Amino acid sequence: MADLQLDDVTKVFVEDDGNEITAVDEVSLAIDDGEFLVLVGPSGCGKSTTLRMVAGLETVSDGAIRLDGSVINDAKPAERDIAMVFQSYALYPHMTVRENMSFGLEESTSMPDEEITATVEDAATMLGIDDLLDRKPDDLSGGQQQRVALGRAIVRDPEVFLLDEPLSNLDAKLRAQMRTELQRLQEDLGVATIYVTHDQTEAMTMADKIAILNDGQLQQVGTPLECYHEPANLFVASFIGEPSMNFFDVSRDGETLVHDDFAYDLTPETASELGDHDELVLGIRPEDIELRSTQDDTHSYETFVDVVEPMGNENNVYLTFDADSTETFVATIDGLHHVEEGQSVIAHVPEDAIHIFDRASGTALRNRTLDTQTMPEPQL
Amino acid sequence: MATTTDDKSEQTDTETGLELHRVALYGALLALVGAYLSPLYSGLTTAFKTQEAYRNTSPLQPPIEGVTIDPWLTAGSELAFAMVNSFAMVIPAAVLSALFGSLTAYGLTKVDWRGQVFVLVLFLAAVFIPYQAVLVPLRQFWSMVGLSQVHPRGELVELTITHIAYGIPICTILFRSYYQTLDSELIEAARLDGASLARIYRKIVLPLSLPMFAVTLIYQFTQVWNDFLFALVLLSNRSNYVVTLELNALQGSMATNYSVQMAGAFIAALPTILVYILFGEQFAKGQTL
Repeated sequence: MADLQLDDVTKVFVEDDGNEITAVDEVSLAIDDGEFLVLVGPSGCGKSTTLRMVAGLETVSDGAIRLDGSVINDAKPAERDIAMVFQSYALYPHMTVRENMSFGLEESTSMPDEEITATVEDAATMLGIDDLLDRKPDDLSGGQQQRVALGRAIVRDPEVFLLDEPLSNLDAKLRAQMRTELQRLQEDLGVATIYVTHDQTEAMTMADKIAILNDGQLQQVGTPLECYHEPANLFVASFIGEPSMNFFDVSRDGETLVHDDFAYDLTPETASELGDHDELVLGIRPEDIELRSTQDDTHSYETFVDVVEPMGNENNVYLTFDADSTETFVATIDGLHHVEEGQSVIAHVPEDAIHIFDRASGTALRNRTLDTQTMPEPQL
Repeated sequence: MATTTDDKSEQTDTETGLELHRVALYGALLALVGAYLSPLYSGLTTAFKTQEAYRNTSPLQPPIEGVTIDPWLTAGSELAFAMVNSFAMVIPAAVLSALFGSLTAYGLTKVDWRGQVFVLVLFLAAVFIPYQAVLVPLRQFWSMVGLSQVHPRGELVELTITHIAYGIPICTILFRSYYQTLDSELIEAARLDGASLARIYRKIVLPLSLPMFAVTLIYQFTQVWNDFLFALVLLSNRSNYVVTLELNALQGSMATNYSVQMAGAFIAALPTILVYILFGEQFAKGQTL
C-alpha cells in the first residue's frame, strides 16, 4: 500500500499582470500507510493548494510528489489512485446517489456492472445510506450528502484519501458526530488520509499527525500533543489551543523577564536556554494559570477579574493587571470555582508551564517541561 | 412576510389616497394595453373579414357581417411550402447553434488554456456585428462555395449554416454566464473520477445545461424564424423561400387583399408562439438560474 511523500513542493501562481504569488513554499511531508494527517492553518495559508497538487488538480511548480516511491507530478488526476472529498461535496445533482457513487468506477475501471453494483451497495451499507441509493442529492440532508461524498471516494478503493474541509458545511452537533465517524471509518479502511481544515479542534481530535501551514510555509509537523505542548514557534503556539495561549512581550534583564506590568524571575537553567536573545515573548496556556487567594511566591501576581465566561465544566476568566486596563489575558479554571467580575485574585504562573519565544523570529527558545507520564505514550 | 404586513398597515393609513392612486394606475395600464393590442386586434378582425366587409367597416369593428375563414385557407395554402422550408432551416440552425455555443462556452469556462480571453473578446465582438454589415461578403462567400449549384436545395443549406454561425456568439455568451455559476468542484470531481473532457461534457455539463438550452433554443428559434434579411440575400429560387420571404411575396401577388395578408402574418408568427408555450417553463427556470 501507499506511502505518500512531498519533497520541497512549491506552487507559484502567476497573475495576469505578471506578479508571482508563492502559495506553497517548499513543503515537505511524509504520510505513512494508514496514517491520518491533518493539514491545518488559517484561510489562504496554502493548505488546499497543497491538497489540490496531490490530487493533480493543480500543477506542481517545483519539488516532487511521490506515491510509493514513484513521482506522480505529471500524472493525470485519474491515474493517481487517489480519491477526494470536496468541501461542497460536488455531488452530481442530476444523478441518483447510486449513479454518483458508480460514476468513478464506470469511468476509470473496466469493472463489470454487477461488481460495480455490489461495490456501491457494500459502501452504502457501511455508511448507512443504503436506503438512499435511488434519491437525488437535492433530496438529502447535509449529513447524508456528506456520506454520499465519502461513499463516492470509498468505492474507488484508493491508495490515499484527500478530504478538503469536509465537515465545514455541517452544523456543530453533526460535525462532532461525523468527526468521530470519519476517524472510525479511516481506521477501519486503513487508508492513508490527508485532511485539510482550518479548525484546530478537528486537527487535534482526529489527527495521527498534524502539519501546520502559514503563508505557504510549513511551521511544524508532529502529533497533536507535540504541537500543543512543544510548539516550534509563536504561530503554532497561538494557532493550536482554544482559548489561545496568552502572550506577553517581555525584555530580558539578566535572569528576569520584564513586562510593563510585572517582572518574572527565571531559574538559572531556564535562563541559560535563552542564549543571547533579549527581546522575548512569554507564553502561558490558560489552563496552566492557577488562581489563588494568597500571594505566596515570586510567580504570583495580583490581578482583577474582567469577564467570566462560564462553559459549564470550566470557566474562562479574563484578567487584567490593572483594574482600569482593557488588556486582558485568560485563565481557564474549574467550572465550580466561583469568581466574581471585578474581584481581585492572585494569578500564579508556574515556571514549568511557561513558553519563551524569540520576538523577532518567533522561534520557541524554551517550551514547557512535562512529566514523562503525561507525554503521548499510549496508556492502557 | 414582513412586506405584506407593511403593505397592510400602509393601506389602513392612507386608504382613500391609495385607492385614487390605484384607479389612475390601472386606468393608465389599461390604456397602454389597449394601445399595444390594437394593431394585433385589428389585424385579427381583418383576417376574418371578406373583402367587402373589409372595405366597408372600420378595422376596429369586429367581423359580424361578412365573416369568413377563406383568408386563412388561402394564406395557409400559399404559405405551406414556405413553412416547411422554414422549419427545415430553423430547427437545425437553432439546435446546432445552441449546441456549438454550449461547447464553446464549456471550453471557455471549465477548461484551462492560454489565450481564452482573446477568443472570448472575439465572440463578444461578434455578438454586436449587425446583419447589414455582412450581407455583401456573405453573398460573395456563398457564391464562391457554390452550394446552390450542387443541389437545388443548396441555398437553404447556405442559409442554415449562416444562421448557425451567426448564432454561435450569442449562444456562447449566454451559456458562458451560466457555466460560470456552475460549481467547478463538480468538474474536478469528475476529472478525479477519471472522465475525459468530452465525457465530462456529455455526462455532467450537458445534462445540467438543459434549462439554458431552453433559453437559447427559444431565443434562436425566434431570431432565425423571423429573419428576413439573410433569407432575402441568400435565397433566389422561389421554391426555397422561407415563410418571411413568402409572406412578403404574398403581399405582391395579392396587392389589395389585406385579409389574406393578415391571416398569413398570423400563420407565420404561430410557430414562435408555440415554441414559447412549449419551452416556457424551462425558459423561466433558465432565466432565474
